[in-house]
Amino acid sequence: MRYLRLVFHYAATLLVALGINFLLPRIAPGDPLDYLLGEETLVALSGKDRLRLMAEFGLDRSLPEQFWLYLVGILQGDFGLSTHLGQPVWDIVISRLPWTLLLTGSALVLALTLGSLLGVLAAWRRGGFCDVATMAGVLFVGSLPPFWLAMLLIILFSTILHWLPSFGAYELGAVPGTLDWLLGVGKRLILPVLALGLVQMASVLLIARSSMLGVLEQDYILFARAKGLSERWIMVRHAFRNALLPLVTHAMVGIGGLVGGALVIETVFAYPGLGSLVVGSVMARDYPLLQGIFVLATGSVILANLLADLLYPLIDPRTRIEG
Amino acid sequence: MAQVALKVFAFLLNLLMLALGSAAHAGDGSSAQPPLAGMVSAMDHQGPRQAKRLKIGIWNSAGNITTYTIGNSWNDWLLWLAFDKLREPSPYGGKAGNWLATDIRRVSDDARTWEITLRDGVKWHDGSAFSAEDVAFTFDYYRKGPINRWTHHTSALPRFEEIKVLGRLRLRVRAKMPMPNFDLITAADLPILQKKQWQEVDNPRAFTGLAIGTGPYRLVEYKADEFYRYQANPDYWKGKPLVDELILVMIKDPQTLFTALKSGELDGAARSLPPELVNQWRDDPDIEIAKAPSLWGVWLDINLGRAPFDDRDLRQAIALAINPDAMVRRILLGMGTSGSRGWPHVDSFWTRPDLRVGYDPVKAKRLLKAHGLVDRDGDGWRDLPGGRPIDWQIKVASNRPLLLRAAQMVMSQLAAVGLRAHVQAVDPASLAAAWKTGRYDFRVMDITPHGLADQDMLALLSKGDNKRALAPETEKEAILNRWLKADSRADRLKISHELQAYQNAYPSRVMLWYPDGYFAYRWQSYDNYASSAGYGIFHKYSFLPRPQRAQVVDELTKRVD
Repeated sequence: MRYLRLVFHYAATLLVALGINFLLPRIAPGDPLDYLLGEETLVALSGKDRLRLMAEFGLDRSLPEQFWLYLVGILQGDFGLSTHLGQPVWDIVISRLPWTLLLTGSALVLALTLGSLLGVLAAWRRGGFCDVATMAGVLFVGSLPPFWLAMLLIILFSTILHWLPSFGAYELGAVPGTLDWLLGVGKRLILPVLALGLVQMASVLLIARSSMLGVLEQDYILFARAKGLSERWIMVRHAFRNALLPLVTHAMVGIGGLVGGALVIETVFAYPGLGSLVVGSVMARDYPLLQGIFVLATGSVILANLLADLLYPLIDPRTRIEG
Repeated sequence: MAQVALKVFAFLLNLLMLALGSAAHAGDGSSAQPPLAGMVSAMDHQGPRQAKRLKIGIWNSAGNITTYTIGNSWNDWLLWLAFDKLREPSPYGGKAGNWLATDIRRVSDDARTWEITLRDGVKWHDGSAFSAEDVAFTFDYYRKGPINRWTHHTSALPRFEEIKVLGRLRLRVRAKMPMPNFDLITAADLPILQKKQWQEVDNPRAFTGLAIGTGPYRLVEYKADEFYRYQANPDYWKGKPLVDELILVMIKDPQTLFTALKSGELDGAARSLPPELVNQWRDDPDIEIAKAPSLWGVWLDINLGRAPFDDRDLRQAIALAINPDAMVRRILLGMGTSGSRGWPHVDSFWTRPDLRVGYDPVKAKRLLKAHGLVDRDGDGWRDLPGGRPIDWQIKVASNRPLLLRAAQMVMSQLAAVGLRAHVQAVDPASLAAAWKTGRYDFRVMDITPHGLADQDMLALLSKGDNKRALAPETEKEAILNRWLKADSRADRLKISHELQAYQNAYPSRVMLWYPDGYFAYRWQSYDNYASSAGYGIFHKYSFLPRPQRAQVVDELTKRVD
């Protein structure tokens, strides 16, 4: 029954989100025609031509009618045609999704692994050199604008050292699946992952540190120490496991944040993911494409939250009882 | 007393400057001087004249490279790689020569009817023969089908009323109004489509395939918003292109684009270098920089649909308060031409050579005062005649730093004559929406050659102004009507010059500058580029054998600074 309620709750959220997804691009000033034809052409259009053009894109219909068609389209798996790229929205989104998942997933793994390790270390050595050094580092890196960090990385590793490529996700011309291609993908992933992951790592570290500090003050830690257990055992088995809960929440919420961060990073690195696509689509007021991306992004965030809700009871038995 | 003396001195100085300016241009011929094209790098290396593959960075989406996914003229050259026109290179230079056509002849005194003879032996990329049926189909498709950036040539200026195939390689067209420049403008701008491919396409915007052209390159693969891969057409009627494969990579961020060129990941960047980089890279041993006329421009657009801008004398005062020379010096670091030469582009064949919009703040103040725009509440700023304070907004795209700086300079120059304005940076789509809804006072924006160097577009834009204006401008309307009815090239040019003089005296668009086009490439990859006015150095002619491109480009053989 609890799970059914949960699923219903998320379905309702999805419906509201779809409505917002539909309205958001339309609230913004302008429409796809402005981008598609340019002012030089639009300036000469007669009123009749303008109406004809609007009809071509379905913009002459009322908003409720457009919304209904949008919902029907989603149910039928038809997301329409991108107005500025001239391709089916679903094809574009699906071809871009793996790159964003690879980039944000790798960045998340980097941020979580490095952030929690350093956070645990900082909490363990609270007040010591290690703690002060990681905190200072975190405050510095965390406060850097991601695009600026990205540009610094490009200048250092691409322009000066010539170690890593500065743009793209794969070597153009290499056959997909071959070793050359895979190496190209790996090399092109390093800089954007660093740019995205390092900034995210800062917040993970802070959460891990404060969560660990809270746990380390608990009575059961004192009891474990009194039992004569080794510090390492206490940290891993007792403290870290219990400090994990806020990190899981953060990781799930962070997925949404990473997609947001990917907007900038993908644009700077000309990385062919959903983030750079959003930027181009917003500029072009490409309603169908924006809707398609938003549907996917919304679905992912809702799914991530649902997963977090389902994972909680497995990690923390107390939530099972409360539930 | 000192202030009066200063004003008199400034006035005399302005008079002197105007006199000197007029004298300097008194000897100009009847058409614009050919713009300079050549190398600006410290060293002019001699690199390879052929290449297997080039990777060139581009910055703007072009869909699947059809006339329906290229929305404006920023990306025209991508289309021309695969498509040909009846005459080439462009309508901008006024000297287009035969290309797919071997003869375009006016056959009626009123310039409404023209006959076209086509080149024999031209093949489409799929091997089928090019014929008059394709050209007739293209004209008709543009005339009746969905609107694109080129359709105005067949549905507005000029408007075709009859298209008749006379033989395998001959056809005749007739327009509703005279079209004395059909051969130089329409024929040099319309890409010719293949009837076989497009006759089945009901909705060209939903067409997702690869378009077939007659051009030197075949588009063989593309990924939306990522890259385009072109392969040389070995059977091209002008000879096999010099580069076998062109990969055009989409990099929207200019920093990344130029960094990729610098690091050697790209062989060229099809975006004009910012002035700062020109100076930085001039001595780079791996990169060469060519100067080529871009025919772009930046203007201050005044909203005719908003009072008091419907008052043409007030617009004149505003134009007189703007000093484009200062903008070229400060913003472009001198790498461009001042907008004081007016609209259209100073390098266009169609532009009257003696056009001027003088910077004269003293006269501007006098005009403003005469129109009742004086400081009524003593706050140091002029107010409208009714007493309403002035605070005009200058809208500008937030992603264009140079234009933002221009908007700020406009603001301070208006302030110098007592007019208060503020800059409002918005995203590009919002800027376009502001134009459509009329919610702006001024806009600072850049314009492509299509809007700046094509005589037909000058008339179209003026007609558009008339539609939007609060108050009709009968003098302008009369000139436009005479232009539309003119049936000889000379008459049309003469009337066009009248229109230009009117536009510059009472501007709806104040030109700020025409940037020089600086294009960078790695000479060790390929060093055989040429300049084509309006397209820079990245265009299909740069990849054609030299003898074959002789009539359409300027070789980059000389040094320019």
